[in-house]
Amino acid sequence: MSGHGEFESPVDLPRDGVGKRPLGWATLTIFIASLFLLVTNAFTIKAWVDEQPAGPTQARLAGWAEEWLSATEALGLNKPRAEMHRLWKEAQAARFAQPPEGNQR
Amino acid sequence: MLFPTLTFGLFFLAVYALTWTIGARSNEWRKILLLVASWVFYGAWDWRFVALLIGSAFINWGLGYLIEANKPEEEDEGKRRQKLLVAAGVVANLAILGFFKYFDFFLGEVAPLLTEAGFARDLPLLQVILPVGVSFFTFQGMSYMIDVYRGRTRAASLLDITLLMSFFPHLVAGPIVRAAHLVPQFRKIPKLDRGMVAMALLLIIWGLFKKAVIASELSVNFVDPVFFDPSAYGSADLIFAAYGYAVQIYCDFSAYSDMAIGLAALLGYRFPRNFDQPYRAASLQDFWRRWHISLSSWLRDYLYIGLGGNRGGLFFICRNLMITMLLGGIWHGAKWTFLIWGGLHGLVLAIERIWREIKPEGWPAVPKPIGILITFHIVVLGWIFFRAETFNGAIAFIEGITAWHGVASIITPLGVGLVLLGMSMHFGPPRLMQGMAMRLRVIPAPLLGLMAGAAILIIDGMRYEGVAPFIYYQF
Repeated sequence: MSGHGEFESPVDLPRDGVGKRPLGWATLTIFIASLFLLVTNAFTIKAWVDEQPAGPTQARLAGWAEEWLSATEALGLNKPRAEMHRLWKEAQAARFAQPPEGNQR
Repeated sequence: MLFPTLTFGLFFLAVYALTWTIGARSNEWRKILLLVASWVFYGAWDWRFVALLIGSAFINWGLGYLIEANKPEEEDEGKRRQKLLVAAGVVANLAILGFFKYFDFFLGEVAPLLTEAGFARDLPLLQVILPVGVSFFTFQGMSYMIDVYRGRTRAASLLDITLLMSFFPHLVAGPIVRAAHLVPQFRKIPKLDRGMVAMALLLIIWGLFKKAVIASELSVNFVDPVFFDPSAYGSADLIFAAYGYAVQIYCDFSAYSDMAIGLAALLGYRFPRNFDQPYRAASLQDFWRRWHISLSSWLRDYLYIGLGGNRGGLFFICRNLMITMLLGGIWHGAKWTFLIWGGLHGLVLAIERIWREIKPEGWPAVPKPIGILITFHIVVLGWIFFRAETFNGAIAFIEGITAWHGVASIITPLGVGLVLLGMSMHFGPPRLMQGMAMRLRVIPAPLLGLMAGAAILIIDGMRYEGVAPFIYYQF
């Protein structure tokens, strides 16, 4: 059964007054990360919009997502994700050397 | 609404923005906002069950209020009324849990017995839909009520209790946060600090990686196919799938906890640690100090101690351990395989306890690496029952391993790499992430934002197409 220390939180770090305006710092960090993903990950945004229930709003959003994907592709901004995905697919396809056919079940 | 999806990401950004703008002026409005957001989050699965969530919160709040109002001045009458109220509360909560989780299972098991006894009847199977997270919010409500009775926490306002039970980061799969821990945090507008934020971002990104990459890849390409039809695979594949599931369930469940802790921290609230490198445990007792800590401490405080705990001698201790783990097993769902999983853990915990009592003085202790190895394999054996659809499926799986036939057909370099990575997480420095957060908190926000964005982009490039629900959503 569980012992002592179960109410310790992983986010409890020493509060030694490092950094001012933590809320502003956190908000700017989240904003920059979101912006970065908006410009480098248009593929995922398009896929997400396509998954939404069909309707006029979805159709309008799908048009914008398509345009956004084309624009970011033209600038090469989607390449890092595409390259990462290609490497991952290669890793998935890699196999150990197989023994002769007759030994397999 | 699953955490690792864009839908949830947009939902969270909206909640974050509203919480720190409108919610920064008034704590009451902040809590109302979080409560409505939590209901929207829960309603995304099934709106009907939002009413169940609210009803459950009302029951526990009302009983908590009445229990405190009947606090005995001296003894006797007030105490008796309090006991009755607690008993009513436990029955009400267990009735909710019992109906949704066990009703159809119970009738399904009873029907053949009645037929054998000559009472053939068409029993009213209701095809009850299991509300997501019902076990978690019910346990949370019960612990609040019992803590008020035991004097460990004061009765709280309706808003605080409803938010405690509904708060979306932990609503559907824990951690089970006690009222004594969270309600005091609800009493004032929380303040962020940079360390908390840096740690929150690390936990969210790390959780995303564990779930979307490791758990999903192992589940779809290795574990699920083998558990679906163990007879189609050789022993090496079965062993790999068993280890793979041990890593998958850790990465899946701990990922949810990490993200829940991180999301709550970005809103200013502290959740307790729920996992602490469980596969480095050198005994099963140690394992339960590290695995799903909020459930194991719940079972200890409200069940094991209630049964008598360590009082009454060795026999009673072992009995209490066994009952606690059997009920812990059945908490996961109405299946015999969960009961066997709980029984195995209870049995080994009892054996460990007996050995500690009777071990002759001067005998050397089991070397720690051997203890870790033995404990891990007992846990893996338990996971086979936990994962298998049926008891016969689990037995077929174990027979396939012991028959030692066939060669590996599904094991790939990526699969091996992911299992090794998943295992290595348990043997690194225990507080590595806190050390990283200490360094990240001094970085300028634009740079940290770029780093976080790049990390999420890399994970998105690796993730499996689509996101499977978390394993613990079904509990």
